[in-house]
Amino acid sequence: MGIKKLIAIGLVIMMCLSVAACAQNEAANDGGSNAAATTAAPEGGQEADTQANADNQDITISFMASIDWVQEAELELGKKFTEETGIKVDYQIVPSDQYPSLLMTKLNTGECTDIFGGQSGKFDIQTMYNVEKNALDLSGEEWAKNVDELAAAELSVNGALYGQPMQDVSNVWAVAYNKQIFSDLGLEIPTSYAGFKEVCDAILAAGKTPIYECVADGWHHVEWFPEPAVTAEAASPGLVDQLNNNEATFSGNATFELILSQIKEMVDLGYWGENYMSNTYADSAKNIASGEYVMTIANQGFGAEVNAVDPSFSVDNIGYFVMPLADNQTLNVNPSGPSRFAYSGSENTDAVKQYLAFMATDESLQYLTENVGKFNKLPFSNAPSKYTETISEFYDRYPTSGTVFQTAVKYVNPQWMEMGTNISALLLGEMTPSEVLETIDKTRADQATAASDPAWAN
Amino acid sequence: MNKKKVYPFYFVLGALALYTVLFVVPSIIGIGYSFTNWSAYSDDLKFVWLDNFKLIFSAEEDYMDIISNTLKFTAVTTVLKNVLGLALALLLTKSIRFLNFHRGIMFMPSVLSTLIIGMIFKSILDPANGLLNTFLRSAGLGFLAGKWLVTSELAFGSVMAVDIWRGTGYIMTILIAGILSISLTYYEAAGIDGANGFQKFRYITLPLIMPTLATTTVLNVIYGLKVFDMIYALTNGGPGRTTTEVLYTAVFKRFGTGQYAAGTALSSVMFLFMAVVGVFMIRVMTKGEVAE
Repeated sequence: MGIKKLIAIGLVIMMCLSVAACAQNEAANDGGSNAAATTAAPEGGQEADTQANADNQDITISFMASIDWVQEAELELGKKFTEETGIKVDYQIVPSDQYPSLLMTKLNTGECTDIFGGQSGKFDIQTMYNVEKNALDLSGEEWAKNVDELAAAELSVNGALYGQPMQDVSNVWAVAYNKQIFSDLGLEIPTSYAGFKEVCDAILAAGKTPIYECVADGWHHVEWFPEPAVTAEAASPGLVDQLNNNEATFSGNATFELILSQIKEMVDLGYWGENYMSNTYADSAKNIASGEYVMTIANQGFGAEVNAVDPSFSVDNIGYFVMPLADNQTLNVNPSGPSRFAYSGSENTDAVKQYLAFMATDESLQYLTENVGKFNKLPFSNAPSKYTETISEFYDRYPTSGTVFQTAVKYVNPQWMEMGTNISALLLGEMTPSEVLETIDKTRADQATAASDPAWAN
Repeated sequence: MNKKKVYPFYFVLGALALYTVLFVVPSIIGIGYSFTNWSAYSDDLKFVWLDNFKLIFSAEEDYMDIISNTLKFTAVTTVLKNVLGLALALLLTKSIRFLNFHRGIMFMPSVLSTLIIGMIFKSILDPANGLLNTFLRSAGLGFLAGKWLVTSELAFGSVMAVDIWRGTGYIMTILIAGILSISLTYYEAAGIDGANGFQKFRYITLPLIMPTLATTTVLNVIYGLKVFDMIYALTNGGPGRTTTEVLYTAVFKRFGTGQYAAGTALSSVMFLFMAVVGVFMIRVMTKGEVAE
């Protein structure tokens, strides 16, 4: 018993000593930083910056985003930001098929990162991200007045700006094609689905795969549906409003059914090749550069991306045309895209605002435009533009344009990944086009009801 | 020392209080929420009674497929991990060279992160450039090369195979401990009586490691019913709607889309099922035991 008591007393003494030692360290640390502050304080200018840096040494802001949202150039700018301010940035990049669920889980459990990436869209940021609760109002920031009006509208709720665009939203998701191969095979840009099939058949006959498609990411193959769906509005004007007012449904719409049937037909005819289910978007530039595949769905920076993979492949060797499903010839514009949101529960709101301000400076926007192939014009008035002739020609080719359905129609974008699952089920023969459309309607109704949308009240 | 000493009840109060606060109360609250319309879209909480459960068991939803997938995953992986683990344990309790090295190699997958294993196997099983298909093609076995994780026919089998590969070493280690605890005198006596290798296994090893096998079965069943990370990393429930969807990936997706009540209802069904399975298994396991 004596030994036990001795050990117990010894342990208590050791515990007290270690607690005291910790406290001393803390005091020493505080003293250290105070001392640093005292030495840095004397005069303004560089000394003030040094002091600010010293104060920020312990601040790390976290930033979570889906793959391909945070560009290499932004990571470089992040390093520069750390050099200038002392604030470190912890980028958490998540595979795209897992990102929406993870983000929503983090937001809903109140454990989100200081900055989170999210798709803009005036309806979705409200119903999906609940930005009025989960994000900071950034309207008062210096850079806010520079944000392009259309892009800002997709990031605002009740007049307050809640996000900062992080990508070029002037881009249109379209069919990017290898001009050289088209020329070699004597092919013209198709203006109808029948014409598109002829092009694909000619490419197949030449021993190449017509389209590089990547279902594994869960999001890319979805582009084939809501983007050319703009033609449905052209076919029956007012459809978007009817869908938003719950006066029309996706199921039963002939254009939507036709688009989905044609997606399935493209796969059945072998236009997407053998490995479309396991292909990934990250490999698309490499595969187009190889000449093995001739077309893919991409935006207008794709030429630069292919050129980056293979410098012998000219940027202008990639041309673009709209997805001609259901004979669509309407340019599918989308003023929304991946954006940065400042999490309202963050303990580092000042540091977050500094980061956002840094990313919107003239120098940063210029650096991003110059170093990210797919950025031609970021949606800020102080951002430079680098449209090429090919891109201007593409935009000019289509006199009419329409806003894509994921932005124009409520409760479509939040179910993007679910649509991806359903469309892959369609490709596997597990679902029919009508069933996919019924599921879209059902999910919209579920979300609208949960959001107490008056249009779905009955 | 008085072996019959009964410790007073208050000794258990601390642990019981912690357990109640951290496990029992949240579980009951969770079950309570499954009777409401709790969602991320509205702060207005209303009781909807059995609506969420009706949704789970309705024909238009896929939840029955998901429950069936979970049970199938549990049954197949439990049986195969036990059988393969036992076979390896029998092999690796013999006098062979580099015994510990072999044991270490077999055990290694169990100590790796499941998510990392999932990502590595996603690359290995890639139909175009994956290691497995490349090897099969270079060995002249191209006809065996398959689209492992991306077709309805092969995806579930591939996911289970990777999980079995990961978990077998762990089960093997437990069974090795069980086999090594059997006294050698039984085998010597059986040898003198003329028993062959199979008979020694059938009549000595197997009966004496039954308690260990029961333990590994319980571990496997609980793991199988709760599996999440392996499937999340390999297929995220796809391809298609529910090919490899299991309960916890479905619950995660429900929570991810803000449909908390449906998620908690699904969890509650799972809880009930696991409680029934747990009680049943404990009864079976303790059937032959005599209270001391």
